[in-house]
Amino acid sequence: MIEQLLQECLRSGPIQLGELVVREVEPGRFVIRHWKDDESQQKLRIETSSIAALEIVRYDEQGNYRALKGAPNLRTGWELRLESVPEVRQAIDYFYPGAFSTWLGFNRGEITPIDLRQTLTRQTGMYRVTQRLADFQAEELAGRFCHSHSGCLRTILWTIDGKAPEKYLPRSKFDPQADQLGECRQEHTKDGPAGARPHHVPFLCVEACNLFVAEARKIVKVHSE
Amino acid sequence: MVEAPEVYIVPNFISEGYFTAKVIPRELELTGAVTIKNHQTLRYCEPVGSDPRMTDLLLHRAAEVARDAPPQNTSLVIVAHGTGLNENSAVAAKRQVAAIRDRAIYPEVVAAFMEEPPEISEWMNLTTQTYVVVVPFFISDGLHSYQDIPVLLGIQSENSAPASQQDVFRHNPYELRNRKLYYAGAIGTDPMMADIILDTVDRFDQQHD
Repeated sequence: MIEQLLQECLRSGPIQLGELVVREVEPGRFVIRHWKDDESQQKLRIETSSIAALEIVRYDEQGNYRALKGAPNLRTGWELRLESVPEVRQAIDYFYPGAFSTWLGFNRGEITPIDLRQTLTRQTGMYRVTQRLADFQAEELAGRFCHSHSGCLRTILWTIDGKAPEKYLPRSKFDPQADQLGECRQEHTKDGPAGARPHHVPFLCVEACNLFVAEARKIVKVHSE
Repeated sequence: MVEAPEVYIVPNFISEGYFTAKVIPRELELTGAVTIKNHQTLRYCEPVGSDPRMTDLLLHRAAEVARDAPPQNTSLVIVAHGTGLNENSAVAAKRQVAAIRDRAIYPEVVAAFMEEPPEISEWMNLTTQTYVVVVPFFISDGLHSYQDIPVLLGIQSENSAPASQQDVFRHNPYELRNRKLYYAGAIGTDPMMADIILDTVDRFDQQHD
């Protein structure tokens, strides 16, 4: 089902998900690139297996480990050439775990975003203290940790006590149709070719991630000392 | 994300413990070994660390890392995480120690832990032989096996380079107070792990038919 839908998507044109551009270059042959490489003429390192994605996602350009796969710091300079839709699906899942399926679920109305209070109340062990995170602290954390420019490219669907954490984030951060690469992308493509823009696939965040919860723990710990 | 009607969940964990007993069932909303929901049957297997071949893997790692250490003068230390949150966490490592002792290859085999006694930082007092081989009973070479345990062993200083850029395994043996210490990589990185995952699924079916 997922692969069938992915196939249909790609048949109708290239797609962009997070920093990726995926296109079917000829029937049954697919190419995945970093969006910055999609329009540049520089020579790219060719990879022919989805497993190569595991290495590409591991470190950023500076060699730092990318704990957060949604962060806007995916390396450039590579091109993945794949020969089947299952391979494409696998590669996308290595780059952005669960992202494509989440979008399909969202379209079918099967995705229920989880309120941050519910996420934190569920925590046990060393993360139990995160229940003490105040709303204003959660807003600040979202503003810093989830910001599309420096934090994470996912579109936030979850809430804090029923309210979107929009105090320090732009409206577009909560709009599934908005391209989170936003201004950064427009600036980059200003002088580029006026080719067909890839179809934007929403990159969704339905629940605050474990890295967010770990950050929340640090905040609570600092304030309780 | 997973659409198949039959789903096996294999925890890539080294032992039963807090995560396999509490966190995974909670996060996946499992009600027991078999959970039926949304037209899917979810089968929750044992962690890979419970596989009988773990003993062989540990011994293989120990022999591989300390080729020039005579086994009859070697203490083998199996280091695991351990936690006060669940009493089962240390059980798997202790079980492995008992199984290795039974094979009578090394005169001394001990378990040591990061977060419960006996602690790995005490390795010098826990062992008596000239050669000491330390094998981490961990799934991956992550923060614990790359950075935390080397610091606890005293073979690396606290503020060293990021874990991913270190070559802690390349300096064996470490000579400390007339002992020769060999430090191995985590056993979960062994290629045999793929077979162990498949066997874990088979074992589930044998136990729940």
